[in-house]
Amino acid sequence: MGRLRVKGKAGAAKNYTTRSAAVKKLQCSLADFRRLCILKGIFPREPRSRKKANKGSSAPTSFYYTKDIAYLAHEPILKKLREHKAFAKKLSRALGRGEWSSAKSLEENKPVYRLDHIIKERYPTFIDAIRDIDDALCMVFLFASLPSNSRLPSELVENCARLSAEWQLYVMHSKSLRKVFLSIKGVYYQAEIMDQTVTWLVPYLFTQNVPADVDIRVMLTFLELYQTLLGFVFFKLYTDAGLVYPPPLDVKKEEQGAGVNAFDLQDSSRQPANKPIKVAEVDGRKITSKVVRQTIKAITSGDSEDVAGLNLSNPESTEADMEEEEFVQQSSKTQKTTTVILPTLQTLSNLPQTLSTSLFSSYTFFLSRETPRSIFEFIVRSFGGRIGWPSSSGSGSPFDETDPTITHVIIDRPVVEKQETPEQRELRLRRKFVQPQWIVDCINAGKILLEDPYAQGKSLPPHLSPFGEYEGAYIPAVEAADEETMQDEEEEGDGEEMDVDDEGNGVRGVLDVVAAAASEETSLRAAELAAEAAGVDFGTFEATVKRAHKKQVKKSTTDALEEAEQDMNKMMMSNKQRKLYEKMKYSNQKKEAERMHLESKRKELTKQKRKDRHA
Amino acid sequence: MAPLASGRKTIKRKQVDEDEDAVPPQQELRSNGALEMLSDEEDDGDASSDDGQVDEFPEIIDESDSEDSDYDEEEEEEDDEDEEDENEEEDEEDENEVDESETDADSDDSLHIFPKAKVVTSKITNQPKTVYPEIEPEYDSDSSTEDTPNRVGNVPMHWYDDMPHIGYDINGKKVLRPARGDELDKFLATVDDSSAWTSAFDKNTQSEKPLTSEELDLIRRLYAGENPDASYDPYEPTTEWFTGKGKEEIMPLSGALQPKRRWVPSKWEKQKVMKIVRAIRQGRILPSKPKSTAKFEPYAIWSEPSSSHPPPLPAPKPPLPTNAESYNPPEEYLPTEEERKAWEAQDPEDRERNFLPQKYSSLRLVPAYDRFVKERFFRQLDLYLAPRVQRVKLNIDPNSLIPKLPSPNSLKPFPNYRSLQFYHSNSRARCVSVSPDGAWVVSGDEGGVVSLWEIIVGREVKRWKFEGKIGSLAWCPRTDVSYFAVGIEDTIHFVIPPNIDPAVLSLTLTVLAPATLPPAPTTPSPVKWLTPPSASRSEDTPILTINLPPSTGLPTHFCWHRRGDYLASVSTGGQQGGVWIHQITRRHSQAPFKKIKGAVQSVLFHPLKPHFFVATQQYVRIYNLSEQKLVKTLMPGIKWISSMDVHPSGDHLIVGGYDRKLCWFDLELSEKPYKVLRYHSRAIRSLQFHPTYPLFASSSDDGSIQIFHSRVYNDLMTDPLIVPLKILRGHTVTDGLGVLQVRWCSKQPWLVSSAADGSVAVWCS
Repeated sequence: MGRLRVKGKAGAAKNYTTRSAAVKKLQCSLADFRRLCILKGIFPREPRSRKKANKGSSAPTSFYYTKDIAYLAHEPILKKLREHKAFAKKLSRALGRGEWSSAKSLEENKPVYRLDHIIKERYPTFIDAIRDIDDALCMVFLFASLPSNSRLPSELVENCARLSAEWQLYVMHSKSLRKVFLSIKGVYYQAEIMDQTVTWLVPYLFTQNVPADVDIRVMLTFLELYQTLLGFVFFKLYTDAGLVYPPPLDVKKEEQGAGVNAFDLQDSSRQPANKPIKVAEVDGRKITSKVVRQTIKAITSGDSEDVAGLNLSNPESTEADMEEEEFVQQSSKTQKTTTVILPTLQTLSNLPQTLSTSLFSSYTFFLSRETPRSIFEFIVRSFGGRIGWPSSSGSGSPFDETDPTITHVIIDRPVVEKQETPEQRELRLRRKFVQPQWIVDCINAGKILLEDPYAQGKSLPPHLSPFGEYEGAYIPAVEAADEETMQDEEEEGDGEEMDVDDEGNGVRGVLDVVAAAASEETSLRAAELAAEAAGVDFGTFEATVKRAHKKQVKKSTTDALEEAEQDMNKMMMSNKQRKLYEKMKYSNQKKEAERMHLESKRKELTKQKRKDRHA
Repeated sequence: MAPLASGRKTIKRKQVDEDEDAVPPQQELRSNGALEMLSDEEDDGDASSDDGQVDEFPEIIDESDSEDSDYDEEEEEEDDEDEEDENEEEDEEDENEVDESETDADSDDSLHIFPKAKVVTSKITNQPKTVYPEIEPEYDSDSSTEDTPNRVGNVPMHWYDDMPHIGYDINGKKVLRPARGDELDKFLATVDDSSAWTSAFDKNTQSEKPLTSEELDLIRRLYAGENPDASYDPYEPTTEWFTGKGKEEIMPLSGALQPKRRWVPSKWEKQKVMKIVRAIRQGRILPSKPKSTAKFEPYAIWSEPSSSHPPPLPAPKPPLPTNAESYNPPEEYLPTEEERKAWEAQDPEDRERNFLPQKYSSLRLVPAYDRFVKERFFRQLDLYLAPRVQRVKLNIDPNSLIPKLPSPNSLKPFPNYRSLQFYHSNSRARCVSVSPDGAWVVSGDEGGVVSLWEIIVGREVKRWKFEGKIGSLAWCPRTDVSYFAVGIEDTIHFVIPPNIDPAVLSLTLTVLAPATLPPAPTTPSPVKWLTPPSASRSEDTPILTINLPPSTGLPTHFCWHRRGDYLASVSTGGQQGGVWIHQITRRHSQAPFKKIKGAVQSVLFHPLKPHFFVATQQYVRIYNLSEQKLVKTLMPGIKWISSMDVHPSGDHLIVGGYDRKLCWFDLELSEKPYKVLRYHSRAIRSLQFHPTYPLFASSSDDGSIQIFHSRVYNDLMTDPLIVPLKILRGHTVTDGLGVLQVRWCSKQPWLVSSAADGSVAVWCS
């Protein structure tokens, strides 16, 4: 006989802890436990058997790994939370007694916890952090648009706004935006950073309200973590890109509503109080004195290549030169241990880029005042375009409406007939007026689309998700194309029937049609009529129909046989496999049903449309 | 009346005790006495004290407990006093009277002069005692109290609401309710009487009673919120007793000198202070730390190498938006009115999508999404509250899960169509048997008819009629003789078919009805073997009959040993589980089991070894007949076994059950089934391996017969191959019974099946 096993000493009973047991063990309140779980990223687990994990009780509880809880018990933040509890007691006592000075000193020495170690624990590598910033970005963008109140201090909202602006600046700078989707919930952006796709959702520019049934404390705890995480991530991203983090904020510009332009992206190799580097712009690309120096070097070394090409679009050839270039390392105030990575053209060109990132580089846009500037400025600049806006949308526009370089005007209002001066007319003719969806669709398509369907006042083509759907889902674009081709075929077929009289070949075509139509009664009727029109005698027609029928029957019987065989083979499946099979079949059927539903709807719609068109 | 009076008295006495000596008792009584018009609460209080004292009524109100003790003492005193009195009863009554007068006099104490008491020396005790002058009941007392005609006491007066009287007077006579007049009279009375508005209703007498001026004054004071005591002056001048002018203390209390420490600075304090000062100067104590206003400053956290811990699993990302979420989706995504309604009727957690697709013609028309914050919140709840389970998502074609088996076409021959059908009229064809040469079929029905017909054409050659149901039929497997056994109630008949070869017939006759009977067994057997005399023999009667012991029941199952000498029968009843083994040559029957656990369903001889399979309701036991012991117990896990058959090789066994399961046992492998199949939709009735072809068939109450290919390999490592080949349908289900028995034709891959609808079908390849 083996050793007696005491119940509840090993296995699931020991590996899992209920929440109440965990709270008891950690000796903290439920709210503190929740905070800890959020910050440490600890979540409940589902045991194989709830009964075994809960000492035979099947009451609904949530389970945590006992090891997770043991790990929480050593958390410095837990200690801080306890200190905070003591502090709160002391403070409330001091306030209750009216001891203002001691309350003040208590308040000054309030225990504060830091989350650095948690960030490091949860995201051991930078890639891990990048992978997980989706939610953080969504939250930060949301809180940046919330009105501040007593629960939401204005500093918090400000900080969120700053973080979101920094993120946008970085994405614009690194040209890493890939996809944009205008949904009813907000705007989805997808960027590719260090080969990780980062998707975030930004609400439209309306004041959001926090509903009463939302526990704002949970959100604030998350936000606390996310702010810290984003701070570290942005620091790394900025320093890797050779920029100063945090980018200094120009208060004056911000007050004028410059948005992201209020932040000044500074090259970290620049002296903080240096003489301004001369920056010239050629084709929307910045050329610093450094680049100029490089080109000069290249020229003097007797390279026969085109200078402009070397300068602007061929950074690879300058690699060797760059290594020679001297670099004065500048230790920033905030960081002491890390060395700044050389901000050379090499590193910049190594950033993930595809051809489509400079999609708009040859265009200049002007936003009309009803289009949301924050969205389109971000999109256009991420894809290399130049953009201007009227002063009503904020200051800092690089050019005004009369600028002759403007190629497109993004406009979102109906066409209104009005008197215009010849100058205006000329300007209007020189520019293209497009609706905002054009920009987004161009980005998602990866090419410049025709402007006509998106012209001002036109009803827009549908806007599809660039993220795709599951495999085998209904694809509207393809369906539409199919339908067009079908329509074409039909028309052709009609034509064929018309000119079938003089061609022997046509008769065969009609017979083919007859064979195809033999399955349905109504279509058979039509086919008969057609055949008669084509001069096919009834005997041949009959024979064709019969043959087709036979073929069909044969086909169906073989199909049925095979199916029956398969059905029979199913009885040899094990129970587990059968269940899995049933499940898969069910989900596939569901998907199929959805697809069919959409397709049938589409067909009906097109029919309706055609009818309307004819009518 | 007595309890009330005494109770009231005691209260007053207590009050007297509490009072200062200076105040004469009468005075006090008068000033403190309660009004006669007591409210109900006061009544209660009084009543309770009364009860406690006199009647010893069990219910004593708690509040009055403490008082009760006082009362008790007083009572004793009172008793003492009473003893002192000579004329007790008289006194008592007098006192009562006095009390009454006292209480009533309270209201107008100033108006009434109370008779003076005098102190006399008691004749008995020689102690001074106070004697009050006697009061003449009619003249001497106060007019207001002289006749309280109603002596019911402090009982709630509503008790008398329905009565014509309102109580009883001192003589026990009813006091009639005074005429109160109607509302008009009352009104007139108020008009006439100027004091009517200052009168109150006395419950005891059921009449209006004017309030005294003191009472009115009291009411007025209460109304005005003043102190009810008229003599109380709230603005008395203060009397300063210890402080104030002229009372200052000039001289110190003690003449001791002031200690030095009162006016010399402390050395120790200085030392302590200097210590702190020095510490501050040296920087050991910092004067209030600089407030950590320094905001969070990010640094290069990922520059140092990460720990060796694996990173926690990243949280699952929310699904990416699909076309339906677009602000301008293709029109087919827009919900119809019904879909919209269905979506709205659903609970939010049941919805497939948390939004309804909508189409806006222009971006500027897109409104704010009202559930934005909520959705973010739910996402966060998911992140920290939802248990996460890692699931492997299979991205395979579900059809790949179906086992790949050889096509039935490659495994021909097997029966796949019905070649002919033979009918038993009006009864179920219960059993069927095929002759060993494969040319004849006998089928029996529940009406007692056994038909012999040709398998190829289905022509009936001969028909026997027996009494009672035919339970089973079995053709003897010997090829040199030709006969079959028929099982009916308690009996087994052996019948020779007509038109057989004379040589075979003679051999059969010698087997079944030998000229010299074998010697009878030494022990008398309950089973009788009977052969009709040769004179009365005919083709219509059985050649041999075995009479099983009575109440053995219908033999439901026959099983021949492969040599054709032994026949095992299973009957529905009987003590030995209904199992008998009959030896034809010795004309001897024996029951192999004295007692057997469970009802035997089926038995089988092993084709090669001297083993005997017995299927009870849930188990299959294998016995060695030569060694007379149990070899193995198989556990198919079937609730109720219906039938079983052993593979001709003897190594495999199939067991079918009424719970639709079919178990395949590899007898060399395990006691648990190698494979359990469940494909019939109703109970399995019968199954059989083909003697020569690798086939087996099972029939079920769902009216179908399933043919399987079952290849068994000699190689121990290779699992037997089971391939479903064909489902034969054609029998109809009657009364919930389908195909009752299937039997193979031994030389051809043909199957004979008998069904509850009375049909017997032959299925050919």
